[in-house]
Amino acid sequence: MAGRFCVSLTCAKDNSDKATVAFVIANAAVASEKETVVFLSTEGVRVAQKGYADDIREEGFAPLKDLMANYAAAGGKILVCSPCFKKRGLDEARLVDGAVIVGGAKLVEFLSQGAPCVTY
Amino acid sequence: MVGDSPGAGTAAEAAYDAGDLGCGELVMELRRRMLALPPGAVLALTARDPGAVLDIPAWCHLTGHALITDRHPFYRIRRKEG
Repeated sequence: MAGRFCVSLTCAKDNSDKATVAFVIANAAVASEKETVVFLSTEGVRVAQKGYADDIREEGFAPLKDLMANYAAAGGKILVCSPCFKKRGLDEARLVDGAVIVGGAKLVEFLSQGAPCVTY
Repeated sequence: MVGDSPGAGTAAEAAYDAGDLGCGELVMELRRRMLALPPGAVLALTARDPGAVLDIPAWCHLTGHALITDRHPFYRIRRKEG
């Protein structure tokens, strides 16, 4: 079944519970054959940095690193808010698999073509 | 063939006991296992997470795989063509 799905994440280690659940839902979407985007903005951009999520493991969930790796391996995309990323002085040469830095227009384009979005 | 698990009614080519795994982690693993099967093959799934009751039918509806046994925690799913 065709269709799109967006998960918006605005947290990282400031709320690792939300960061984890966002990727659990993203896994559900991509496993359900939806063209899926995780949009990272504000603090959420930090999880796009290789190594950052390595020590995030919420009780009852798989480690965030594994959730993100499985998501990317299944074809899930991660859009990273460019100004949020730059503001935090992060390194665009060290992005996790499936991640690409974008401006707002890319998100607007994706959602405007008809995509539900859930935010964490 | 795997045909002797509880909830059996149709012989299955593969079996997967997901234990308490649920939500996105369950369907991601289910996706991987279904794609490894040939079209028309049946997977016997045991999924004890309470969310599976509604999630497994929803996932089958979304993906087009056929849910042929739906007796929580026992499910049988036939892989779609293609």
